[in-house]
Parts: sequence; C-alpha cells; structure tokens
Amino acid sequence: MKEKNYSPIDYVLLIPGIGFIVVFIASSIIITITQSFGLLSVTGKSQFTIENWKAIFHDKESLDSVLFSLKMGVLSSLGTLIFAFPLALFLRKSGPGKRFLGSLIKIPQFIPALVAAFLIINLISYHGIINEALLALGIIKEPLRMLNDKFGWGVVVIQIWKNTPFVLLILSGSLASIHDDIIDAARNLGAGSFSVLFRIFIPLSMPGILISMILMFIKAFGDFAITSVAGPIYPPSIALRMRNTATLFQEWDKAAVLGVIIILTTLLITWLYSRLAEFVVGEK
Amino acid sequence: MSRLVLKNIVKKFENVIAVDHVSLEVEEGEFVTLLGPSGCGKTTTLRTVAGFYQPDEGEIYFNDRLMNNIPPAKRNTAMCFQSYALFPHMNVWDNIAFGLKMRKVPTEEQKKRVAEVLQMMSLAGMEKRMPSQLSGGQQQRVALARAIVTQPDILLFDEPLSNLDAKLRVQVRVEIKEMQKRLGITSLYVTHDQDEALAISDRIVVMNQGHIEQVGDPETIYLHPATSFVAGFIGLANILNGKVIARDEQRVLLELPFGTLWAFGGNLCPNVGDMVKFSFRPENLVQYREGNMNKIVTTVVHAIFMGNAVDLFLDAQGVRLRARAQNTEKFKSGDTVVFTIDEKAFQFLE
Amino acid sequence: MQEKIQKIPLYIRQARRKQSLTTILTAFFIVVQIIWVGLPIFMAVLWSLVDPDHPWSFPSILPEKLSLAQWVYVFKYTNIVRALKTSYMLAPCAVALSFLLGLPTAYVLGRKQIRGKKFFETIVLLPMIMPGMVVALFLSRVFTAFGLAQNFFGLVLAHTLMALPYMIRLLATSFEAIPQDIIDAAENLGANTFVKIKDIFLPMIRPGLLAGIIFAFTTSIEEFNLTFVIGTPTFETIPTILYSFLGYNFIRTNASVVALIMMIPNIILLFIVEDLLKFDYLSASLGKL
Repeated sequence: MKEKNYSPIDYVLLIPGIGFIVVFIASSIIITITQSFGLLSVTGKSQFTIENWKAIFHDKESLDSVLFSLKMGVLSSLGTLIFAFPLALFLRKSGPGKRFLGSLIKIPQFIPALVAAFLIINLISYHGIINEALLALGIIKEPLRMLNDKFGWGVVVIQIWKNTPFVLLILSGSLASIHDDIIDAARNLGAGSFSVLFRIFIPLSMPGILISMILMFIKAFGDFAITSVAGPIYPPSIALRMRNTATLFQEWDKAAVLGVIIILTTLLITWLYSRLAEFVVGEK
Repeated sequence: MSRLVLKNIVKKFENVIAVDHVSLEVEEGEFVTLLGPSGCGKTTTLRTVAGFYQPDEGEIYFNDRLMNNIPPAKRNTAMCFQSYALFPHMNVWDNIAFGLKMRKVPTEEQKKRVAEVLQMMSLAGMEKRMPSQLSGGQQQRVALARAIVTQPDILLFDEPLSNLDAKLRVQVRVEIKEMQKRLGITSLYVTHDQDEALAISDRIVVMNQGHIEQVGDPETIYLHPATSFVAGFIGLANILNGKVIARDEQRVLLELPFGTLWAFGGNLCPNVGDMVKFSFRPENLVQYREGNMNKIVTTVVHAIFMGNAVDLFLDAQGVRLRARAQNTEKFKSGDTVVFTIDEKAFQFLE
Repeated sequence: MQEKIQKIPLYIRQARRKQSLTTILTAFFIVVQIIWVGLPIFMAVLWSLVDPDHPWSFPSILPEKLSLAQWVYVFKYTNIVRALKTSYMLAPCAVALSFLLGLPTAYVLGRKQIRGKKFFETIVLLPMIMPGMVVALFLSRVFTAFGLAQNFFGLVLAHTLMALPYMIRLLATSFEAIPQDIIDAAENLGANTFVKIKDIFLPMIRPGLLAGIIFAFTTSIEEFNLTFVIGTPTFETIPTILYSFLGYNFIRTNASVVALIMMIPNIILLFIVEDLLKFDYLSASLGKL
C-alpha cells in the first residue's frame, strides 16, 4: 500500500535536469526540421520550400549513404548480439575465473570509440598484423583489403569490438532476472539444453535482446567518427555526408534534410521496437 | 510514558479502506498486540500512530494530547522495524546514539545511556561494528537498543521478529517482554503470528479487513472467541451452525445434522428457534463414556500422528470435525469413534 | 592407479567431466578475450614505442628498436598539451554542472511516484539515444546564434548535456535503493529534513554519486561530435586531436601515443568503478533476509 507521496514542488525539482535536456535536444530537433524546409536559414533567405527534400530524394548518392548506414546498423546490431549472447549465457552462473573473464570483457566499453577504431585499424590495415600473419602462414598470397573496404566490414568489426560489453551488460540483466526455478522446472518437465535455450532463455530475455539491438542500431546508423576513419571511400555514412554537406559545401538546408532522415529512422526503429516488445512480452 | 488513545481512525489508500473506524485505548505501561492476517490494517494502524500516515478521520491522543498534526519526528515514539532499518553507513554506537543526538542530549549523558543499553542488550564490545558485520539476531538487538535508548513515550513494533529463525524468535520474544515490563513503556506490537501474540501480550486486538474483531487478554481471545473469524484465526476450531430447539435456565439444546447437543449459554442464552453459530476446540472432544450428556458418533477420515498427539479429521453425518487424541491411541481411516463434549466448551459466536 | 580410476562410477565421472568442461570453457574464453582485447592494445603500445629512425615494417615481427621518441615528439610538436588541458578542465566543469542540475531531478525520479515518471525517464535518456552528429550540427546553429560556439562555456554546456543522462540515472538508482524504512526510522528517532539530507540521503547515495561522477567524467573526456562541431578549431580536446591524426594526416605512431593517453585513465577508472559496485552496504542493512 502506498500513499501518494508527491507534491507540485517535485515537478519544480525536475526542471533543472529535465529542462536542460529538453531545451537543448528540442532546439536542435526544431532547427533541423525547420531548416530542412528552408526556414530559419542562417546562410541565406528564409523561405518555405520543399526543394531540398526533392533534391535529396533524387540524389542517388544520398540514397547510397542511407542504404549503407542502414546496412551498418543492421550488421552491427546482429554482430554484437551474436558475440554477446553466448557470453551472457555463459556468465549467468558464477564459477572459477568468471569474475576475471567478466572484467576482461568489459574493457572495450571504457575505451573511447575513436581509440577503439584506431586499435582495430592497426590490426586490419593493409600491412597490419592480421594480414602479415596470414601471409606468413601462407594462407593468402597478398594482403586483404579490410580497412576502408567497399563493403564496410572494417566498421562492423570495430562496432562489434567496442560495443559487445555494452550489449552483454543489457543481456546479462535480462538473463539474471530469469529465476533458476523456471529453468529447473523446464528441465524437470523434460526439456533438454536445446529446448531450454529456445523455449526459456531466448523468449524470456527477448526484451533485453530487442532493446540492445535497437540501441546498437541507433549507434551504428548515426555514426560519424568510426565510419569516417575506417569506412569505405564511397559511400560515406549518412551522418558523414550530412556533416560534409553542411560544413564543406555549406548547404545547411540539404544537410538538415539528411538530419531529419536520421532522426525519423531512429524514431521509427524505436517505435517498431516498442511494438515488437509489446508483442513479445504481451504487455498492455 | 503515555496512555495511547485511538478514536474512530479511518485510513484510505486511493479507494481501499485500510483502517475502518478503529478505536482503541492502551493503558500506561501496557503491552498491546495488533494481530491479524496480512492486509488487515494492523501495520497501517501502527504507522498512523508513528505519524508516517495521516488518518483520514478520527483522532490519536497520547495522554490528553491530540497528535494528528504532530510530525513523526516530534512524537517521541520509537519503532522497531521488520527490516530493522539500521543505518548501514553508521556503526552500532552511532546507530543507537542517533535518536539522542536528534534530541540534543548532552554528549556525556549520550555516552552513559548508550553504554547502558549496550549492556542491557548484551551488545557490549560491538560498538564499532557496522550493521553488515552483525548476525540477524544482533541486528535485531541493535534495532531494539536504538528504540529504547530514547526513552520513548510509546514503543512500536512492526513484526520485529519475522526475519529471525524459529528458535531465536521464541527466545527474543521473551526478552522483549521482560525488557518492556522492566522499563514499563507503553507498547504497541504488530504480528500475524498467533503464538507470538499469545505469548507476549497483556491484551490482544484481533483485526480483520480494517476493523477490530475482538479485544481481550490472551486467555479470553483463545478460550472465548467472540466471532467466527477470531475462532478460526486463533488456533484450531470447529465452527458449526445449529438451531436452538429447547432451553432451560442457562442451557440450550442445539439441533445439528448428527444429533442434538446441550450447551451452556450463561446469561447470553439464545432463544428457542434461533439459528446460532458456535465453536469449540478440537481438544474439547473427548472419548464418550456411559452417562455423558452429549454424544457424537464420528467416522475417522484421516488420523495424523503429530508426535505429542494425534490429529483427527472426522466425519459426523456429513459434518467435518477436528479432534485431538492422545498419541498412545491408534486410529485408522474408517474407524468409528464416539466423542462427548462438555456443555461449557461451546462458544457462541456473533 | 589405473584400477582406481576404473572404480569411480560412471555418473560421477560424467559429472566431473561436465564441471571440468566449464573450467576449460572459461579458460578458453579468457584466452580468446586476452587476444581479442589485449592484442589491439599491445600493438598500439608497440607502435607508440617505435623508434623513428628504425621504422617498423614488413616483414619484421617486432620493431627493431624501441624508444620514447614518439612520445617526446607528440608532446613537443603537437597541440596535445593544450588539448589535455582543455579536456581535463572541461570534464570537472561538466561533472560539477551535471551534478548540480541532476541532483534534484534524480531525487524526484528515484523517490517519488510522480505522474508521468516513465516519460521523464525517457527524456533523461535522449542525449544518449539521439544521433550525436545531428544534435551536434544543428545545436551548433543555436550556439552560434547565442555566441556559445567556439566558447569554453558553450563547451561546458554541451558536455553537461551528454553527461546528464549518466549522472541522473545513477543518482536516481541510488536514491531508489534506500529502503523507506531507513528514512522512516530516522524520522521516528527525531530527524528533521536537514538531518535526513545530511546524515541519511547524502551518505547513502555516495556509491551512486561516485559512479555518476566517473561516468560523467569519462563521457566528457570521450565526447567527440559536439566538441568537433562547436569547439574546433579554437578548442582541441584529446578526441579531436586523435581524429585529426586518424584523418587526412594519418600518422600511426602519433595516433598510438594519443590513443594511449586517452585510454589509460579510462581503464584505471573502470577498475575503481568495479570496486565501488562491489561495496554494496545497502542490501546488508536489510538484515539477513
């Protein structure tokens, strides 16, 4: 039994933190949207127009960037999940050495994204250790192009390296909330390891799986720094194209259109997630 | 020390009435227990006395002082929480001295009083330990020490023993009782454990669904339950309905599916033709002997060996009854057993 | 010896095998992780120690000669010292501001069942969720309009924005973790609001506060997008310097030095946090449940 324990003053106390965030985030979103329609333009005349939208939609290069970023988002989120889920399952039960293993795994989370990018670049570059090792072992005849490759594998590897601990953290939380009794009950009723995995662990940790995939997608889709140092020469990621459009070509209005596309995709994915989560968890 | 008076207390949470017109008087130095199942309003009543909840209706008095608008910090009650609520970042000494500091007691006297209660609670030598370094029983003692050191007007206990194991619980409840008698502090104690309530209280208040079912000393509550709820909640009881078909001075003849029984009704004797509800304890059913007034023929459904006795589940013409027999007797399902019951064993219920 | 082994029943041997399988798997994962995490870091360390006069190239496995020359060069001839100063001045300011702004909000989110709590909690996460470059690019327009671009105070505000989600979340969680009984007990023993804040709330949120400070601090040190758009070229921080070394003038040895400078304090802080989170006296106060 709980008594209503708040008063109007509590809403006032929310203002410093919530207000600060709202002011900055809202103003940046509003500027992005208005400028994509030519309003509040800083460089030239302010006038309502949908020309910028038309231009972007007819621009094959922009489309390429969107598709590339979508690809990075999907591959990075799937990749981290594939790496993190087995680890999370393995670390669910404590055992000798697992604490140490847990600490080791966590290290990349505390390495800044740009540093992570650099560390991996070192390994996968044309004369990096991986190529040299493969050459020395005679597996390949000439070095593989893994950095700035056309497909973007370099970026995916960096995203997986950097973000596996983050996804592991979310998944471990989900898995930890599954009571041992439930698993014992399933075993008692005749479920083997395979059934326990597919009928107990995966369904019950689905909210965690979904949220981690969404957050990873958003991160990789909107990424600027990693793609700009390790991504292909063409196409650039959508965030990189947006920034170049704005600062190199000084076409802020067109950049704003790209900005709106990034935000809308992010919102759409988040919305899809919440629908999916409702569907899976069956809440509401 | 104070006399505690509750007058028509009502407490609602959103649309649920947690406490429904509760009135109660606790005399100076008296130990009163609020007993009932979970959700009966006992804890809410206690927290209202402490001031954590404001009653929606009714008044709370300590002696003649109206307390409704006094904040918890100024009520001079001391509460022992179920979770002990020890301050985890303070050592034993600081925990106990906290209330004294709040009351601006001079440092010298603080030292003296804390040392005193440490001695009293057999905690001497543990002053510097943190709560996490203590066993459950020790934490419980620190919580108790922290409460009594402030010399409160009223001691409040919110199921303080429920986190202890069974043996320790029995031991500590005796200690609480002795300490309370020695210090003579008015106490209000909440529990759902009937044994604990019977063992520790001067008076017991049985609560159910927000209202008081019965107030009385432990014997009265056990031997003369006033309502079917009290009869059913405290100990085991056979609760039956019957019709009064005859009466003399102080006795009535009850008609039941399995026959008739004479019951002593005293001054409250019901009238002929009334339907009455009454109860008796399993141990009131004893082996029938020639010449006994009441006779109940039963069939054994289950006989369960309990160590010190045999617990019998009986059937008497479709009426289920419980009885206790000595552990020397042997029973098996299907046996026919004839019981009698003393006319004074009946309790008429509201 | 052989006989003894034979005498151990099959089911016991199977159980033992299963247990040792877990141990072997743990060892396997540890080895994989040491390579997975350790090798990239080790390579960066090696690269940072390559002697400029003896370049490290194919096919030598290790650099011919190690020296600190690169470190000396980076400190002497690049902006790293200024960037270090900017970074380590910005971070404490952002931490302090995010603490001051976040504390009241975290208190309400942690302890009050207000209407719309979920909504406010989502808003708190926005700076983490919103695509960084979009926010950076178009917030810079607002900052320019108010004269906050290329301005230290503007950078403090930007870093505070990114640090706030961590600060508020961690503080709110530690406020939430204080059992109501503890606060009631203090009140019951006569504590007023001031005492409750000073003797109960502040000491009990300390682990969360320290974790919040560390997360806010590392967030600020790592912040790239906003600093890059709003701060450069007037203000360089370590990430923007590293970006320039990784971009058009890619010099691996220099980048190695800067990457290590940026990484080492973070890893040290990681182990402090680990230690902090182990120290949970909150649950101990609930008795041996």
